[in-house]
Amino acid sequence: MIEIKNLTKYYGKNAAVRNITFSVLDNEILGFLGPNGAGKSTTMNIVTGYLPSTAGNVLIDGIDIAQEPSKAKRMIGYLPEIPPVYVDMKVKEYLLFCAGIKGIKRSERKAQVENAMDKLKVKDVENRLIRNLSKGYRQRVGFAQAILGDPKYLILDEPTVGLDPNQVIEVRNLIRSLKKDHTIILSSHILAEIQAVCERVVIISHGEVRAIDTIKNLEDSLGGALILLMKITGKKSDVTECIRNIDGVVNIIDASMEDEGVYTYKIEIKDDGVRKDIMTALVKNDFEIDEVSTEKPNLEEVFVKLTAQPPRKKGLKDLLDEYDDEAEASDEQNDGSKEDK
Amino acid sequence: MFSLYKKELRSYFFSPFAYVIAALFLLIFAIPFINGIANLSGTEYKFSFSNIFYNNFFYFIFLIPALTMRTFADERKSGTEVLLMTSPLNVFQIVAAKFLAVSTVFLMMIALTNFYPIITAMTGDVMISSLICGYTGFFLWGLVCISIGMLMSSFTESPIIAAILGEGAMIILLFIDNIKNSGLFQSLPKAAKIIGAFSTEERFENFSQGIMGLGDIIFFITATIMFLGFTIISIEKKRWSRG
Repeated sequence: MIEIKNLTKYYGKNAAVRNITFSVLDNEILGFLGPNGAGKSTTMNIVTGYLPSTAGNVLIDGIDIAQEPSKAKRMIGYLPEIPPVYVDMKVKEYLLFCAGIKGIKRSERKAQVENAMDKLKVKDVENRLIRNLSKGYRQRVGFAQAILGDPKYLILDEPTVGLDPNQVIEVRNLIRSLKKDHTIILSSHILAEIQAVCERVVIISHGEVRAIDTIKNLEDSLGGALILLMKITGKKSDVTECIRNIDGVVNIIDASMEDEGVYTYKIEIKDDGVRKDIMTALVKNDFEIDEVSTEKPNLEEVFVKLTAQPPRKKGLKDLLDEYDDEAEASDEQNDGSKEDK
Repeated sequence: MFSLYKKELRSYFFSPFAYVIAALFLLIFAIPFINGIANLSGTEYKFSFSNIFYNNFFYFIFLIPALTMRTFADERKSGTEVLLMTSPLNVFQIVAAKFLAVSTVFLMMIALTNFYPIITAMTGDVMISSLICGYTGFFLWGLVCISIGMLMSSFTESPIIAAILGEGAMIILLFIDNIKNSGLFQSLPKAAKIIGAFSTEERFENFSQGIMGLGDIIFFITATIMFLGFTIISIEKKRWSRG
């Protein structure tokens, strides 16, 4: 079991992660989700012992990685975001070298390397210089390095980046098959991937844990809510206001521009009945509805909802945006009052 | 640790790198050698290898940063530092393996220069004892320079900057004596004495004159260990403050 307790990391004055606590159970695949810059890589770097933490502990099977690093590191295979390969080495040579520094016995190295190359399907390039390999192959060589010596824990930072769709499926299957004897932390911002292989997810945002639960529970947490997708022609602020004022609308998750003045709105509603109210209200206000569809909320909505919450301190940019919106709104009011006169 | 050592050696010898530097080094050695022969005159045909060693070092010292510049800067740049740092090896082992690898390359380079005394021995006499002494001094001073070069490499992500910092450090190392002997410090004998304690040139001079002193050997070895210690500290420091 990996236990992460109150982990905090400051870079200078900036907190990259704040008070993160969760644990990874044996033989599970834990998804580690978060938008870019949320602190995923930082957390993984600390868990693997690459970076020291400012506060808090990481216990690998009860061994503190800061206290007994060499013992703890033996149990971990790590694939960082950028595969740590030496471009001037050949694939097999590189893997043998990795087996060496991981302290695998000399007699077992060859077998281990062959096994890893078979699993990651890099056997056909074993005698090529890594410099000449494509990004996908490099990624797989990096992955092969992580599973050398059958470490109990595998920590994979975005393992499918740069792979083509077929390879992505292969790697996902591999990860699933590794679950039998390994415990895996898988970080990604590709939700489909997490959904495909993980049972439990940790969602972090702005360096804080937002949710730790199984995917099913997270989806259910939105209750019987529905997501309504509507393509509407009309001024965005007016439409938003009109929709917001209707009873039963929980939230407008997203509004993406389709065309000049045409937006697709993603609206979270309590139940199916609210749809009718929205449409009536929109028609009454002379907005043109081009398309309507509904869907059940999935991990994506949970993710958006959880990560869209602002951090404790708002950034300057957010404050400016808010100010702009307000200014725009008051301008419109003034225009309206002039016309009345 | 042995795997890392082997890998480092390979990276030198599986690329033109070590060969180019070794060739340049031999050239540097060849010129004063030819010069020594060309200057022979009179009835006594004598020239001194110790002198060649002594003079060579002032050129050779600038080759060392080229050997050491990649040790840590390259790892950091290509992201492979993560691999080493998350392996069961500790920083001490990493630094030691890299240092031993560079030292081995250096040793091979100076072994190649045996070529010149051998040629001389074919037709004349070579004073073996003074030669050994010269080589020992050369090797020990080289180790100090390697450890300094590695320290410079641990400061940065760019091998080029590491090389430039290294060259800077080498210049300071060479000029300590000049600074000590300058008018300003001659008027401050105490300060001159303190600076003089760090002077490597004087100690190397002893070796090139055929005097192998225990004090000098200990000086070079402790200096090497000290700079390697600084390298370990610098790497650990980088881990803590990485942003």
